[in-house]
Amino acid sequence: MNNSVISAKGLVKEYGQGATLVRALRGVDLDIPRGSFTCIIGASGHGKSTLMHLLGGLDYPTLGTVIIDGQEVSRLGNKELASLRAKKIGFVFQFFNLLHNLTAKENIETALMLAGVPDNEQERRAIELLELVGLGDKVNAKPGQLSGGQQQRVAIARALANDPPVLLMDEPTGNLDSEAEAEVMKVLENLKHQGKTIIFVTHSTEIAARSDNLICVRDGQIQEPQAFKKAS
Amino acid sequence: MTNTNLVFKSLTRRKGRFLFTSLGIVIGMASFVTFMALGGSLKSQIERESAALGANLVVTPKGSCAYEQVSILTGEQLPTNITKDEVAAIRSIDGMMAIPYLAERSAIDNRPVSVMGILPGETREFKNWRLAQGEYFSHENAEGAVLGSVLAEQFGLLPGSEVRVRGSQIKVLGVLDETGGKDDLTVFLSLPVAQKLYDQKDLVSYVAVRVDHLDEVELYANKIKDQVSLGVVSDKQMRNSVLSIVGTVNITLQIIAAVAVLAAAFGIVNTMMTATYERRREIGILQAMGATRTGIFKLFIFESGIYGLIGGVGGAVLGGLAAVFAAPLISQNAATSFVKGAQSSFDPMMFVGAILFSTMVAMVAGLYPAIKASKLSPVEAISYE
Ligand SMILES: Nc1ncnc2c1ncn2[C@@H]1O[C@H](COP(=O)(O)OP(=O)(O)OP(=O)(O)O)[C@@H](O)[C@H]1O
Ligand SMILES: [Mg+2]
Repeated sequence: MNNSVISAKGLVKEYGQGATLVRALRGVDLDIPRGSFTCIIGASGHGKSTLMHLLGGLDYPTLGTVIIDGQEVSRLGNKELASLRAKKIGFVFQFFNLLHNLTAKENIETALMLAGVPDNEQERRAIELLELVGLGDKVNAKPGQLSGGQQQRVAIARALANDPPVLLMDEPTGNLDSEAEAEVMKVLENLKHQGKTIIFVTHSTEIAARSDNLICVRDGQIQEPQAFKKAS
Repeated sequence: MTNTNLVFKSLTRRKGRFLFTSLGIVIGMASFVTFMALGGSLKSQIERESAALGANLVVTPKGSCAYEQVSILTGEQLPTNITKDEVAAIRSIDGMMAIPYLAERSAIDNRPVSVMGILPGETREFKNWRLAQGEYFSHENAEGAVLGSVLAEQFGLLPGSEVRVRGSQIKVLGVLDETGGKDDLTVFLSLPVAQKLYDQKDLVSYVAVRVDHLDEVELYANKIKDQVSLGVVSDKQMRNSVLSIVGTVNITLQIIAAVAVLAAAFGIVNTMMTATYERRREIGILQAMGATRTGIFKLFIFESGIYGLIGGVGGAVLGGLAAVFAAPLISQNAATSFVKGAQSSFDPMMFVGAILFSTMVAMVAGLYPAIKASKLSPVEAISYE
């Protein structure tokens, strides 16, 4: 148990109620080993994003428990959960990641502020992070002036602002060309060597093949990866 | 990045909306401050005029009401129907001093001024006037005019120059020291000269009375009523009835201004609600990055508070300027004509008060949107497409 940075038991997540009730997750058990590169795969609408949000403490499960680095999410109040996210988790979302009125640098500075980095250290750190994702020349660009791939890289830099042990990424390379994808993967490879735990939602079997822990979501449940590999 | 920076960047991202919402609260606060400032200066002006009159009792034409009383304090034209015999009867009462006035209007360079017919010697004593320049009336029916200091300065008149009153050229004899009241804006003539000029032979507008013993005001009021059938009011009654007329006008204006502020507050609610809706994804992102609900709430309250701050500062400056410069333009009726003489003093307490009030109103207006924003669930905010 000590070896897993996040573990979930009997996870159920429902949205809405009555006629509009959606059961996005229907009883998920899993453990994410510390320092692993875990891929979550599965068809569209089967609950990958929902699972990722729960594993990152962005939402409370309807039933079941999520334990993030020894802390049980359901037992935490809003404030403690926010502070847990601020310290332990870096998110890269599937769709919207950036504050659009702020430049790349300012976006990262905002994350640094929330992570408690003092104002006078923010700029240097922000530029370092942007250089890390190969965007040293786009420091003052606003999201609207960046390509989709560049935006995702800013989002990754932003997710690293608080130097979190766990990175949760929801299809960060979903709409990148293969070159940009390779670049992102190189960044992630380095992060893995630094000992970060990376959870990566993807449709790409190629990326999934490089993972050291594969989780396949189907209809809100975990399916044997073997079956997935055979099927694909 | 700091919270303050973040708020300012959010505020100014929709420049048009920011401008119009700010304008709304600035205009609302400006009208509020204007009417507050006018109200304050009206009140002190009334008290000053009442003191400058130097009378305990005022005898007014029969059947005159509060409106005429306002006119006595402002120097407006009055019905002139107190006769020479009535004046003589009042003046025959012992133990008090009674001074008749003929209050008329004229214009110099098309600007209205008060013209007063007075008993030169007694009025000077009654009002404790001092002469700043030139000479005073040499006798009770001397020709020529003595001017209030502000009026002389406004029209560039000096002893020896001529002033045109009701078609006649009148020589300026002297200029009085500043009194701080409406006398500073008045042309004084000797009573007989004024009566002739205005065709009011043997008539006056009112009689100011000062009794020798203050505790006998009531008694003398009755003595006067026994002698003549005219209206008699004490200075206190007069001041109170004038204050209540002006106060009513003033409160009405302030209520209208308060409605303007309220409307502006709803403008802020509207702007902040729209912002909450527009930024719901960003609120989700901020929460994912570790912002607490309280943190989000503070960002939004801070943002609406800024509108209040802008409104307070802008409103206090504009309203203060309006009170000083626009006041003479609205002095068209008796209730507001006090203002023209008022030295609209700039009150720093009112400035601070306006800013605090406006900021508080804006923050209350921002309360609901800020609560809404802080209650957004990060997941719903982010997964929205
Ligand atoms: N906020 C929500 N309210 C209601 N239903 C939701 C909400 N979020 C997700 N769902 C539903 O839950 C189910 C799982 O959605 P989820 O986003 O987790 O799928 P996904 O595997 O990430 O799909 P994709 O590959 O398209 O991103 C879907 O049926 C979806 O419609
Ligand atoms: Mg998804």
